[in-house]
Amino acid sequence: MDRILLRFSEENVAEPITSQVILELGIPMRIVTATINSLGGDILVEVPAVHLKKIVKAFRDKGVIVKFPKLIEVDYDKCFDCGACPCGLCVDACPARAITLVEQHRNHPK
Amino acid sequence: MSTTKKGNGRSIAEINQKIKSGDVQVLTAEEMKKLVESSGVEVAYKEVDVVTTGTFGAMCSSGAIINVGHSDPPIKIQRAWINDVEVSHPGAAVDLYIGATMMSETEPFEYGGGHIIEDLIAGKEVELRATSYGTDCYPRTKLNTTLTKDDLNQFYLLNFRNCYQRYVCATNSRDEIIYTYMGKLLPRFRNASYSGAGELNPLMNDPDYETIGLGTRIFLGGAQGYVIGEGTQHDPTDRFGTLMVRGDCKQMSPEFISGGAFTKYGTSLYVGIGIPIPILNKGLAKKTALRDEEIFTDIVDYGVPRRARPKLGKVDYATLKSGKVTIKGREIKVSSLSSLKKARKISETLKSWIENGAFYLSAPAETLPTNSACNPMKQTGEIVFVNSVAHEAVTCSVDEDIKSVAQRIISRSVNHVVVTDKEGEIKGIVTSWDVTRAVAEGKSKLADIITKKVFTTTPEETLEAASRKMAQHHISALPVVDRDKKVVGLITSEDIAKLRGR
Repeated sequence: MDRILLRFSEENVAEPITSQVILELGIPMRIVTATINSLGGDILVEVPAVHLKKIVKAFRDKGVIVKFPKLIEVDYDKCFDCGACPCGLCVDACPARAITLVEQHRNHPK
Repeated sequence: MSTTKKGNGRSIAEINQKIKSGDVQVLTAEEMKKLVESSGVEVAYKEVDVVTTGTFGAMCSSGAIINVGHSDPPIKIQRAWINDVEVSHPGAAVDLYIGATMMSETEPFEYGGGHIIEDLIAGKEVELRATSYGTDCYPRTKLNTTLTKDDLNQFYLLNFRNCYQRYVCATNSRDEIIYTYMGKLLPRFRNASYSGAGELNPLMNDPDYETIGLGTRIFLGGAQGYVIGEGTQHDPTDRFGTLMVRGDCKQMSPEFISGGAFTKYGTSLYVGIGIPIPILNKGLAKKTALRDEEIFTDIVDYGVPRRARPKLGKVDYATLKSGKVTIKGREIKVSSLSSLKKARKISETLKSWIENGAFYLSAPAETLPTNSACNPMKQTGEIVFVNSVAHEAVTCSVDEDIKSVAQRIISRSVNHVVVTDKEGEIKGIVTSWDVTRAVAEGKSKLADIITKKVFTTTPEETLEAASRKMAQHHISALPVVDRDKKVVGLITSEDIAKLRGR
C-alpha cells in the first residue's frame, strides 16, 4: 500500500471527487486522515501500490492536487509534548525540532 | 506575613513541621479543583496544606550567567561566542550571560542561547571563543577553549521574565502565513495558538500574590530555585503577572529545560516552573480551586504588526485545551505552544518532593507588587503609517476591456489599476506591464491578465511594514484596504522613495 495526499481547493471541495474515482476505477482506498471543510483541505489515503499510477491520474484529471507525503518521524527524546504540530504545520512548527520527514521507499510518478 | 498565626489559619512554619514529620497533605492544583468541587472549600481547606502548580513553556526572557574562570595570561573578554552564538559580557572579565534568544551566526533560527543552556545542563561540551582589546592587567586578546558545566565556577539560570500568569490566543487575519513567537499562523484565521497551563499555572493559583515573592522556593528546571521578584513587564492589574527567577543549572535536568526554535522567528528557552501554594487560609483554598472555564484571555490578531493588536474576542482555557476555538463565526484548530503534559509532571514532581521531605516551603521576604503597570515605550521619533502616504487608487471593474484600462493608465499617469467589484471590494490588480504584455501576446480580455492574489496593506500599517512587504514579494505597489476588503487607496514604492528622499 502507498500513501498519497489529496489536496482539495475551495473550488472543487464541494464535488464528490473521491467517491467518483473509487466508483470509476473500482479500486478500494483507505482514508487515513482527513482535514477538510468548505474551504478545502487534505485527505491522506492509502492505495494499492499496483494501481497507484491510475489513481493519481484520475484525481489529477479532476483537478485535485496529488502529493506523495514523506513519512513523519518523531524523535521522542526531543519532543516535549506541546501541541504545536497539528496536521500540515508539523515540521517547521516544532520548536523542539523533533520531527523529520523521510521519503517513502518507492519511485512515484512525478 | 506572619508565620506563627494560631487558630486562625495555617503558617508556613507549621506546614514545614508537617513536611518534617511526614504528615503534610499535598495536592496538585488539578486534584485540588476536584476536591473542592466534590467536598467544598471548607473541607479542602481543613485537609490540604499545600497545592502544587506547574507550567512548561517558551520563556524568551531567560538566560544563564556563567563564570568561566580566569585564563593565563588573563583576558578581559570584550566579545564572546559559545558554539557560534554571541553571548554578552556585561561584567568585569570572565562572566558571561547566555541570552536565550541570541542566535548562532552559522545556524541562525535553529540553534541559540537556549540550546547552549540545555547542552551544558545535559553535560555536553561547548566551544568558547573570545576577543578583547587587551589591557595592562588583562593582556590577552584572543581565546579559544572548550567547556562543560563542571568547568564553570557558577552556572545560574537568571530569568528576568518568566511564568506569565496567562497569555493571549494568537491568530492571523493576513492573506499570508506569518511566523511569530506564537508559532506559525496560517492565513485568514485558519489556525490559532495559545500558551500557558491555565488552571495549573502558578500565579493563577495565587492571583493576589499572598504567598509568592522574593525568596519563594520553587521548582525550576528540575531543581530547587527561587523567585527573586516580579518579572519585567509584570502587569498584575490585568492579570498578566510575571516572575524573575534564579536557579542552579548544575542541579537542573534537560527534561525541564530545553532550547526551542521558532521558524523565521528565532530561538528561545523552554522553562519548567512549579510553585507550591501554601493553603494559609480559606481564601487560598478557594483561589486554588479556580477552573480553566473561569480563566479568560483575548484572541488577538497577530496579522496587524502594531503594539495594540486588534482583539477579536475572548476565550477560556477549557476551550483552548479542547483544541477548537471559534473565530469570526468559524471553528478553527487551536494548538498549544506550551506542554500541559510537562506542566502536570512538574506539579506531580513538586508534590512528591514535598511529601518525601525533600522540599520545604519558604515565606517570601517581600511579596510581588499588586498594583504596578506595564507602560508602553516613550518614543521621540515619528512613525509614519500607510494612511498618511497612501493616495487615491485608480480602479476598474473585471468586465471592462483592456483598451479602456490602458487609456486610464495613460490619462491618470499611473502604473497600477486596482480591480474592484460593485461594492468596492478588491478583486485583483492590473499593471501597465500586464497591459503591455497583453498587447504583445494578443490578449484582449481583462480577466485573463488580472493578478487575482493581491498583497494588500491597511491604513493602520506602518510604512516600514508595508515597504518590507513590497520588498519581500518583489512588487511595486500595495492596494490599501479596510477591514471589509474595500479599496481605500494605493501606495507605491515611488511614494516611499519620495518620502525617504525628503
